[in-house]
Amino acid sequence: MDPLFKDWGRSETRRQFLTRGKNALGTAALASLLGRDLPGQEPKAAPQGAHFAPKTKNIIYLHMVGGPAQMDLFDYKPKMQEMYDKDLPDSVRQGQRLTTMTSGQARFPIAPSKFKFARHGKCGMWITELLPWTARCADDICWIRSMHTDAINHEPAICYIQTGSQVTGRPCIGSWVSYGLGSMNANLPTFVVLVATPSNREQEQAISGRLWSSGFLPGEHAGVSFRTSGDPILFINNPPGVPDAVRRATLDGLKELNDLNYRQVGDPETHTRISQYEMAFRMQASVPELTNIKAEPESTFKLYGEEARKPGTFANTVLMARRLVERGVRFVQVYHNNWDHHGNLGGRMPSQCKDVDRACYGLLQDLKGRGMFDSTLVLWGGEFGRTIYSQGGLSKDNYGRDHHPRCFTWWMAGGGAKGGTIYGETDDFSYNIVKDPVRISDFHATLLHLLGFNHEKFTVKYQGLDARLSGVEPAKVIRDLLA
Amino acid sequence: MRRFATTASLCSFYIVFGTVFPATSEPTQSPAPQDVPVRFNRDIRPILAENCFPCHGPDPGSRQGKLRLDREEGFFADRGEGALVVRGKPDSSPLLSRVMSKDSEEVMPPPKAKKTLKLQQKELLRRWIAQGAPWEPHWSFLKPERAPLPAVKNPKWVLNVVDRFVLARLEAAGLTPAPEADRRTLARRLSLDLVGLPPEPEAVEAFVNDASSDAYERYVRRLFDSPRYGEHRARYWLDAARYADTHGLHFDNYREIWPYRDWVIQAFNRNVPFDVFTTEQLAGDLLPNPTKDQIIATGFHRCNITTNEGGTIAEENLANYARDRVETTSWVWLGLTANCAVCHDHKFDPITTKDFYSMAAFFRNTTQGALDGNVKDSAPVMVLPKPEDEKRWASIPADTDQVQKSIAARKGALRADFDKWLETAQPDAWEAELAKIGPPTFHLPLDTEPPGPELAATHQGKPIAVKAEGTVKWIDSGRAGKALLLEGQTTVDLGDVGAFEKDTAFSFGCWVRLNANQQGAASVLARMDDDAGYRGWDLWVQGNEFAAHLVHKWQDDAIKVSTTGSLVKRGTWQHVFVTYDGSAKAEGFRIFVDGKQAKLNLEANTLKNTPRTPAPLLLGRRKKSGVLAGGALQDLRIYARRLAAAEVQRLAIHPKAAALLAKPPKDRQPKEKQDVFDVASAGDAELAAGAEKLAAFEAERKAIRDRASVTHVMEERKGSMPTANILFRGEYDKPRDKVEAAVFTSLNPLPTGAPKSRLGLAQWLVSKDHPLTARVMVNRFWQELFGTGIVKTAEDFGIMGEAPSHPELLDTLAAEFRDHWDVRKLLTLILTSATYRQSAATTKEKLEKDGANRLFSRGPRFRMDAEMIRDVALAASATLSPKLGGPSVKPYQPEGVWEAVGMNESNTKIYKRDSGEALYRRGLYSFWKRMAPPASMEILNAPSREMACVRRERTNTPLQALVTLNDPQFIEAARVLAQNAMKKALPSVADPRPAKEGTDEAARLDFIARRLLSRPLSKDETAIVLRVRGKLLAHYKAAPEDAKKLTAVGESKPDASLDPADLAAWTMVCNQMMNLDEVLNK
Repeated sequence: MDPLFKDWGRSETRRQFLTRGKNALGTAALASLLGRDLPGQEPKAAPQGAHFAPKTKNIIYLHMVGGPAQMDLFDYKPKMQEMYDKDLPDSVRQGQRLTTMTSGQARFPIAPSKFKFARHGKCGMWITELLPWTARCADDICWIRSMHTDAINHEPAICYIQTGSQVTGRPCIGSWVSYGLGSMNANLPTFVVLVATPSNREQEQAISGRLWSSGFLPGEHAGVSFRTSGDPILFINNPPGVPDAVRRATLDGLKELNDLNYRQVGDPETHTRISQYEMAFRMQASVPELTNIKAEPESTFKLYGEEARKPGTFANTVLMARRLVERGVRFVQVYHNNWDHHGNLGGRMPSQCKDVDRACYGLLQDLKGRGMFDSTLVLWGGEFGRTIYSQGGLSKDNYGRDHHPRCFTWWMAGGGAKGGTIYGETDDFSYNIVKDPVRISDFHATLLHLLGFNHEKFTVKYQGLDARLSGVEPAKVIRDLLA
Repeated sequence: MRRFATTASLCSFYIVFGTVFPATSEPTQSPAPQDVPVRFNRDIRPILAENCFPCHGPDPGSRQGKLRLDREEGFFADRGEGALVVRGKPDSSPLLSRVMSKDSEEVMPPPKAKKTLKLQQKELLRRWIAQGAPWEPHWSFLKPERAPLPAVKNPKWVLNVVDRFVLARLEAAGLTPAPEADRRTLARRLSLDLVGLPPEPEAVEAFVNDASSDAYERYVRRLFDSPRYGEHRARYWLDAARYADTHGLHFDNYREIWPYRDWVIQAFNRNVPFDVFTTEQLAGDLLPNPTKDQIIATGFHRCNITTNEGGTIAEENLANYARDRVETTSWVWLGLTANCAVCHDHKFDPITTKDFYSMAAFFRNTTQGALDGNVKDSAPVMVLPKPEDEKRWASIPADTDQVQKSIAARKGALRADFDKWLETAQPDAWEAELAKIGPPTFHLPLDTEPPGPELAATHQGKPIAVKAEGTVKWIDSGRAGKALLLEGQTTVDLGDVGAFEKDTAFSFGCWVRLNANQQGAASVLARMDDDAGYRGWDLWVQGNEFAAHLVHKWQDDAIKVSTTGSLVKRGTWQHVFVTYDGSAKAEGFRIFVDGKQAKLNLEANTLKNTPRTPAPLLLGRRKKSGVLAGGALQDLRIYARRLAAAEVQRLAIHPKAAALLAKPPKDRQPKEKQDVFDVASAGDAELAAGAEKLAAFEAERKAIRDRASVTHVMEERKGSMPTANILFRGEYDKPRDKVEAAVFTSLNPLPTGAPKSRLGLAQWLVSKDHPLTARVMVNRFWQELFGTGIVKTAEDFGIMGEAPSHPELLDTLAAEFRDHWDVRKLLTLILTSATYRQSAATTKEKLEKDGANRLFSRGPRFRMDAEMIRDVALAASATLSPKLGGPSVKPYQPEGVWEAVGMNESNTKIYKRDSGEALYRRGLYSFWKRMAPPASMEILNAPSREMACVRRERTNTPLQALVTLNDPQFIEAARVLAQNAMKKALPSVADPRPAKEGTDEAARLDFIARRLLSRPLSKDETAIVLRVRGKLLAHYKAAPEDAKKLTAVGESKPDASLDPADLAAWTMVCNQMMNLDEVLNK
């Protein structure tokens, strides 16, 4: 758009311009600044901290779509065994709203977890028998058992945890990070999305492009979805019958023609376009190497398991996430579906856990082995928790659970998160938080802190407001989670 | 003076917003001297809005110290210790001393607000007070009026009013306008702006060679008259309307509303005045005697996203829908971001939460439900029959009505006869009615307990011997007399009765009273052999439904039908009868319960072979299974034909009718008389003919409905006033005060006499007193042409929006537009200005002083929108379909785009590409799935259409380059353009001027250039392209396989008469040319 803006972008540090951007320019102008100073330049070796030195450079966010049942995985509630099929006391439920899937139930019988739990690591975290590999990493992981949300259905809940608002249209975490920190590799996008295919697909939820939209941030900060079948990036491959040499010849001619036109019209945007075409060409060259998982040594598959060889599996996807981060992609969002266990939890939970367990272990070990653990933050969790009472039929071996916004468990590891921390506590019913609640906005504030941002100052003008990821309500960085 | 002030305004604007950084895109001038008038709107309010309004603004929830700075009295009213501002005396004004204070307890804004005033800002405040502190309401809330025309130094350049304002600003900035662009450039620019397509080369040449004085105007008019004009304008409006082809949430299923899209196209083509355009979309259904089109127009507010997710709460969904409609209306017409007021009074603009929900009330008085049902036609909808069906569709109701009337008349006459008959009828008179049916083939009355095991029965007119064995019980409470009770231990073997064939008609049934404890599935009567694949037939009970089987071998050679609607009533007598027409199809079965025909599930429909079986007919069981544990039976009948409905009704009413006749006339109740009459009259031929006609009309109606289109429309709930509850913090479950529908209180009031409905809301928006609508629309039309509006924040004309670059121009155009609401007239005015006709070529000076072209120091040049880029490629290759309107289409798209996001249950999970013409329709007809919009368009910044969008983003990314380089749609278009160039280009035709190069190659290249760029290439350009072409040709000659692969891209076949290597080389030339910056830009 404006060439002068671009030049300032080059001469200023990002920090100067973010600070200035807060008061100075409209979003779009700021956008052109942020976006444009990249392609023509060499990739920056290290992120330029926004407000202070960041703890983490990269994030791999593993979202468990549907909302895993916390009391079957991490939030151990032994007292519930005696409460089998007893009614959830009103004193616990406190008139909380229910989805219309269970609001018509005559009673709310308690379903204790059918799975065995044991303590792991020095921290002594209670972990389900279904996650033996993850359990080995207990002391690397920072456990949060007291996340809570306001949303009770999937669409608004995912939107809330990923954008800070239940209503669609705002930027997601990955877009904020891309916007704030920019790229570390001029040949690849800054924010990449991967959707894994679960082994069991009984009750999948919708996963749509809106989840990785850049909202009111410029479009280049939207997540680029790498696909697990077909071309990894849309239109990345030359048409059939067009080898690189042919493409190169046309691009060379194109550049010459555009240059001629520039000399006549003088629109600086023409030069930007030339460099974007060049970056497209470089991306075309780098993506095949990136996606060639076959080139990984045997030792990799020893870590992640053999599943990692199969395109589309969670293990394969997580391995791809590591390769992306290794090549300088800032933010990798991974989705794993089918955690929405309204019924047959007993039957479905083992396969869900099997999908992710070893891969999570592999990822953490792999990052450590490559010296990337301290600068890469791994996040794991869903959009809400599930109810202790059973939805539908209840037996000792099987039950279903409805959505539960009042508490759920998340974990993070690496990248400045304090391993071996067990934060927050819920009541005996895993229904209400009794200690150290973590609002989603607190969680966002903490994330931004690890990335070197003061969440209150990291704002963009939108519709007259200083919009920020952590929202308008007061939010705080949870210091106890930081290494 | 005016010019000077204008310049100063920009300087101060950038002092305020631009802080300290040097020259921006705006003109540089040395700081204004002390006596330059400071203006509140331009200079002061932005400082206050940014720094003070959060605590001292319109929102009482966050207001501190009871101080409001968004209103005049906040500055000048006595606050006990005097006023905040003393006019003319900065040093006596607390406002300034608080701002200047070094004391952290004193200073404003306080440190915790994390806002700091710049030195220049403080200085401006001082100067404002020193100059007497003149206050103004926010500019956009004042009604726009025509501004006096500013003086200019070079009036010769001025063609119309637009230019006066633009030139004054340019001269003040020390800039001169760019020269007029050449005619070819203008021909292309005008064509792209008015119809969204490149001009035909012939039209360009005609324009270039048109020496008449009104050549330009006539060229413009021709473009306006093209049907493509409406398509192009509609595309912008459809972004604002958030138009799409799916519901948007959860399943994201198909929604049929394209007739609304077509209405928008036609409205622009008909140049419907904007006030009418507005009224019909917001309230067409509330107009007196609305036309079909006026109702279709209300689809505007049915374009919002809706859900059918299980578990969502109705009230919450409805609150969300209304909220979307207020926000959209506010963005699109008011240019205000009302959404802040969902939770609290707006912190900057004078919109209260009460205002928000008062406007929501207009939209809550709707018949629309909370869930969309995952169907394509979620009520309220309008059915749009095919043109050939329209006449019949309109006449069916009258025909139906007429037949119903004659039925009623006939019934009246019959009733008179019936009543007469009833007066004298003997108790056994009904037997005569029954006799009309004729004798059954088999009859087992079961109404008298016999002395021995022998039961009375008749078969083919003769008594036969039948025995009841095992435990035999008779109960007193039969439908008539005593009834036989089956308790599982009773055997009644009826032998070779009911030997049905698959191709003969029959009927059977009985009275049955199932025991209250009867459970599971059982046979009421059956002639069925369990050991031979269940061959035979039966009357079956399963759960709460009756069913019937006709089986050769279960389940792949059998018919099974079952009732729906929980028809089994245990503990009461029910008459159950099955009829069959001998068609060997499940459709040939009917089941009547108490004389009423039940809706059936066709559970199996595979009968091929005979159901004949040697097994005997048994009561209450099959040969080996299906034992009925508890049930009483009476009046078992079998007929060797299909009984008509009226006949079955006679059987069912028999006990009732007999009872009626047995009573003395005075004890007969109207209801029972009516029931018996209904049955007695059912066999009447005239009534039957009437009923048949009604059924035919209904079938006809359904057929027309099934092939018709539907479109979503608005419909008011009748008998209630539009109201809404204020929702505390926007939460649906925290309703507070109830409010009536009302418009924003800080703007002009509802016009006198306007109803408090959506119609009144529309009338308010287009009233002559409204300050915003005309400004907002003029600005958006300007934005369509110039890339950026006069107000850059097209969605926000509020206090936090950006100030207009040319306020007087905006107001003058708005006042003009408001006078006639004529869109073409407005566009013509802008398009015929010298401002618009400028060349886009820029200079170093202009880049420095006017980098973003906000002063319009040159013509518009910017990357086209997604749909235009695609349309241009298709038009240049002459593959673009001219078809206007109709259902949305699914052109080329990479595999897996929908599949990756869609839920399994969704009917838009799998993208099935269309073929033929549908691949080449204009971009605005592409099927818009909200969860995965057309992939190539989304990459080029097309919005998701989840919410209203009045200003698209325009980025420049590598992913976009990949689209236009590699998308098969573009490759195919390149190949077709190459084919056309190779076949049609002749040196003499391609260029009427003497051919300089004169070669085939140059002529072909010229052909391509004129279609993509509307101009011939220069010598230098030609040399570059031909050099590249030489390399390409060498490659494809050496690699014929590559040539074959490349030219095979797309559904259309490559022209076999052309040399594949040559065609491949030209294809890549076209591909290269289609990616020129000049082609991608307007």
